[in-house]
Amino acid sequence: MAGHLDDLVGRTLQHIWLTAIAVGIGFLISFALAVLAIRRRSTYGPILATSDILYTIPSLALFAALVSVTGITLLTVEIPLTMYTLVIFVRNMTAGFDSVPPDVLEAASGLGYTGMQRLWRVEVPLAVPLIVAGLRLATVSTIGLVTVSSILGDSFGGLGFFILEGYRRSFPTELYFGAIPSILLAVAADLLLARLQRRITPWTHDAEPVPA
Amino acid sequence: MSGVELEFRHVSKRYAGGGAAAVEDLSFTVPPGQICVLVGPSGCGKTTSLKMVNRLIEPTGGEILVDGENVFDKDVIALRRGIGYVIQQVGLLPHLTVGQNVAVVPRLLGWSKDRQQQRATELLGLVGLKPGTYRDRYPAQLSGGERQRVGVARALAADPPLMLMDEPFGAVDPIVRERLQNEFLRLQEQLAKTIVFVTHDIDEAIKMGDLVAVMRVGGKLAQFAPPADILASPASDFVARFVGADRGLKRLSLTTLRDLELQPAVTGRPGDSAAEARERILADPFPYLLLVDQDGRPIGWVDQREIPPSGNLNEQMAEAESPVLGLRTTLKDALSQLLAADVMAGVVVDENERVAGLVTVEQIAAALRDQPAARG
Repeated sequence: MAGHLDDLVGRTLQHIWLTAIAVGIGFLISFALAVLAIRRRSTYGPILATSDILYTIPSLALFAALVSVTGITLLTVEIPLTMYTLVIFVRNMTAGFDSVPPDVLEAASGLGYTGMQRLWRVEVPLAVPLIVAGLRLATVSTIGLVTVSSILGDSFGGLGFFILEGYRRSFPTELYFGAIPSILLAVAADLLLARLQRRITPWTHDAEPVPA
Repeated sequence: MSGVELEFRHVSKRYAGGGAAAVEDLSFTVPPGQICVLVGPSGCGKTTSLKMVNRLIEPTGGEILVDGENVFDKDVIALRRGIGYVIQQVGLLPHLTVGQNVAVVPRLLGWSKDRQQQRATELLGLVGLKPGTYRDRYPAQLSGGERQRVGVARALAADPPLMLMDEPFGAVDPIVRERLQNEFLRLQEQLAKTIVFVTHDIDEAIKMGDLVAVMRVGGKLAQFAPPADILASPASDFVARFVGADRGLKRLSLTTLRDLELQPAVTGRPGDSAAEARERILADPFPYLLLVDQDGRPIGWVDQREIPPSGNLNEQMAEAESPVLGLRTTLKDALSQLLAADVMAGVVVDENERVAGLVTVEQIAAALRDQPAARG
């Protein structure tokens, strides 16, 4: 039993690690793409279309196809996982930037914010609610997808390892042993990020209009 | 810092792709410390003209000089930080508190935290918002009028000599607007900034402007003159039509209650002897006694017939209310509030909300008759 518990902790940590890499890198790439899309409107359509198309590739096929290029490595796991976060992040980030009221942008420029100051001090903070909404969605979906990477062998897959093992050996207990912690992980991550958002955007709540 | 001279020299703006000019050969000079109102129908280029001063829009021809320097020779960011800017939707940054909003430009200029805070506190007081109450609120927690005040405070934060105000009081109801206008004019008496003020409302233009630039579609200047001159002698049919047929009535916007000899009010305080008060009000032609509190602030009217022959006055006797007007209220606003409330007299209060006297509809009508007749 102690061995099982060690296994569970190890696999959970791996699950978190595989998720964090994909979400982190996906976040950074998407952020750059979203800023580009907002600043150069002509790129907006192509960027969104590309991330949409990437999302339609079946994950199982992509893992299998990449093996011939990158072998059975971390890269093979992370490329698809990262790719699938792009569509979520890019859509939410551009929506976040688009949600900043035009009068706020104009006032900021008129007051003398430089382009960079306006981006970091006005647009990004005001886009946070939608950016974090994207982060929650991307995290939850990646936690689910990590399990699929167990087809690349025992070194990957996080909690997916137990699911695949359970399936192969027709042993439902082991299947649950992988699936339930994976679900709990996704729920916990979602709640944590929701709380984080409330903390860093104090202006979005307790905003009861006070009568004059 | 008090105002500097602002000069438009043959300024034009044409958008790429041809078509009519947005602004055409606009030239005028605003002397230091004066309010110049750009007024005209929509599409007349007034907001475009305003935004060319802080280069949110770049003109295609001409020069704009602030204190003798061409704004196009200056660093655009430094230029903007040195000019106060207020827009109609206010544009407060929703994620910053009121105090942080007011201190935006000082922060961009690298002032110390202490100095930023001190300045924000000072300015909130100046625009009539208690710093302790408002400093830590977010814009979403403010009423429309409060937001506009914060917008004005923010524009004043770095003490710019020049302010651009694009329909700054446009998004509030008429009563609040009137109060904000009056307060702003009081502030301007001390600050003496040079101000460019955009509005589509000719009444506001007449009230706020030391100079009024009437513009017409295509960005042409139709007339540039003090408001009294525009009312007395419109330069063209267009100006006459834009100003409206009621020019005589509009001249009431040029005079405030301060300029009028107010009628004394017969007042009484709760607790005063009713018999004595009754004697005084019966001796006065006006049939109502004005009940005031211990500080002289109005409570309400008491009909002389309701005053008992003995006993004391009390607050329950006060009934009919009438508009309470400030000394800076224009005769036009006063008349419209009296008519709206369907009363013949309004209470005028001073800066401390104490009763200064009464104004009657007849008095305003008399002031209208005494005006020199408008030509045309």
